Amino acid sequence: MLEIKNLHATVGGKEILKGIDLTVKSGEIHALMGQNGAGKSTLSNVLVGHPAYTVTDGSITFNGKDLLAMSPDERSHEGLFLSFQQPVEIPGVSMTNFMRAALNAKRKYLGLEPLDASTFLKLMRERRKVVELDSKLANRSVNEGFSGGERKRNEIFQMAMLEPSMCILDETDSGLDVDALRIVAEGFNKLRKPETAAIVITHYQRLLDYLKPDVVHVLMDGRIVRSGGPELAMEIEQKGFDWIRNSD
Amino acid sequence: MNQYIDLFQSQRALLDARSLPVFNERRQEAFEAFQRLGFPSRKVERFKYTDVAEAFAPNYGLNLSRLRIPVNPYQAFRCDVPNLSTSLYFVVNDSFYKDALPKAQLPKGVYVGAMQDGTFKDLFGSLADVNSDAITALNTMLAQDALLLYVPARVRVERPIQVVNILRSAVPLMANRRVLIVVEEDAEVRLLFCDHAADDVDFLTTQVTEVFVGKGAQVEIYELEESTHRCHRFANLYADIDEGAHLTHATFTLTGGLTRNQTDVRLSAPGAEVQLYGCVIADEQQHIDNNTLIEHCASGCKSRELYKYVVDGQAEGAFAGRILVHENAQQTDSQETNANLVCTPEARMWTQPMLEIYADDVKCSHGSTVGQLNDDALFYMQQRGISKAEAQLLLKQAFAEEVIHQITLEPLRDRLHHLVDKRFRGELTYCRGCKLCSH
Repeated sequence: MLEIKNLHATVGGKEILKGIDLTVKSGEIHALMGQNGAGKSTLSNVLVGHPAYTVTDGSITFNGKDLLAMSPDERSHEGLFLSFQQPVEIPGVSMTNFMRAALNAKRKYLGLEPLDASTFLKLMRERRKVVELDSKLANRSVNEGFSGGERKRNEIFQMAMLEPSMCILDETDSGLDVDALRIVAEGFNKLRKPETAAIVITHYQRLLDYLKPDVVHVLMDGRIVRSGGPELAMEIEQKGFDWIRNSD
Repeated sequence: MNQYIDLFQSQRALLDARSLPVFNERRQEAFEAFQRLGFPSRKVERFKYTDVAEAFAPNYGLNLSRLRIPVNPYQAFRCDVPNLSTSLYFVVNDSFYKDALPKAQLPKGVYVGAMQDGTFKDLFGSLADVNSDAITALNTMLAQDALLLYVPARVRVERPIQVVNILRSAVPLMANRRVLIVVEEDAEVRLLFCDHAADDVDFLTTQVTEVFVGKGAQVEIYELEESTHRCHRFANLYADIDEGAHLTHATFTLTGGLTRNQTDVRLSAPGAEVQLYGCVIADEQQHIDNNTLIEHCASGCKSRELYKYVVDGQAEGAFAGRILVHENAQQTDSQETNANLVCTPEARMWTQPMLEIYADDVKCSHGSTVGQLNDDALFYMQQRGISKAEAQLLLKQAFAEEVIHQITLEPLRDRLHHLVDKRFRGELTYCRGCKLCSH
């Protein structure tokens, strides 16, 4: 479903991605690990079309379509979802209005009628319970006054509302305590459909204990230097990343 | 400036013949003041951001002989705001429209109508000092009619009073409106003024409003401007707030050409309160200048001020707000905020919050911000599938919402919410009757 070939990308004129090749099939979970500055977040930003990043070479195909030719909102409609590392506050825009605008934009793209108010609110209620998101939060402005944990739960809630086919979780475990991590991870497992694929960016094994990746990749200096099964993540947890660098 | 002096001198007899003594008695002093003051240049502090002489330079016609204007406002501006039932009145150009008054639904003693000689003669012109402002002087020397709104002591007017100002003319026209609002002790009233232009010609209006808020009275005044880009509005409002009384004044400038609102409030006795709000949405070549002065003259008074601008296109916005705390005004509680979104490289915003304190036991703050839409928020919304244009719209709306939120009159709040949305979507570029009512 996602095919990245020889991807090179720069930010502020500096080359960060230096030839990424990655294929993710429907329903697969891929973990992306690596030290700070290796290019993990750059890859996720390039995938969703952040304007600060420039692709200088390579291609990305998503469900047979050229992803790089699409605007960020089109990519979202096509089924791409990013759980942000640092979800932004949007004062004055209520969660309800925000989600309604997002969901109806997607429905319009797919040629569907907008959801009526009661169906929409019912869906909101249902989905937010899974991640134990308080109804008070749902009535507030987007992420305004949310704690770190609430913001991450809110990301998973939005994922559940939009039902993407490909999720990128960018350090969704950062800033979470053990209980919050469990709620977010279990929420993700419950809310995703079997065919949903995911790229999980993380530094730690703990999140992967819940999400159970099919493939683990190690990113180093803008390239994938090693790929393997779940055991690779365990090995990194024990030995650190330098072990890979040194063994190359 | 000379054209107005010539006009006055040559038409003085006609002006006097068609007006009541209450207006005529003030002309001479106003004329002398106007000659002395002249139109203020941009070197005059309060007029730094608006070129007055330029706005008054073209030749406008005046309806000095008070010819009847062919218009039936009740047909042209049928009002059906959902859930907002108001007592509706019209001012056509600068004359109170007497022909079809609403069925008497006002409490006993309340008066809305043309000013007559008599009871309020001494109040008229007592706040609007002709010697300190050229526009007030010009308005006073040319005024021939005034809208009087009187609420006697302890009367609570439940139903809001709505006044629709209609500009109607086939040729470029100058209108000099006058409003006198007298709310006595412990009375309560809510007023809504809507500005519209029914014709696509150049209009120049001066408007002088005097508001007396008696002891313990509660007054809310909302002004909504939805005219055309060919309208120039110079509105001076003067308010005096007595002991323990409260005034809320909010202006919503949605469409217009050149707007200058000058609002001077005197908190003249202990415990008086004022809230001033402004919401400006400007684009194309609009020019909008809000200039306020709040004087704390007694102890324990409270003032709140919040003005927000969204400046788009090549528009220019200006805000200057001065808060003056006099020596005896101890325990003053005052907050002033001006926040602005400047959306294009060509748009301009000037902001000048000012605080002048002569008392030593006060709590005062003032501040302003000028910024652009938050790129991170825009991208976040786009990632969720909201187009960039829609995301920008939602952010602008959210920005304006803070002011709309202050309106206590719920149907009006909902209506404004809707109008602001339409305005941002570019569906409110032209005045076609009372949008507050008919859309």
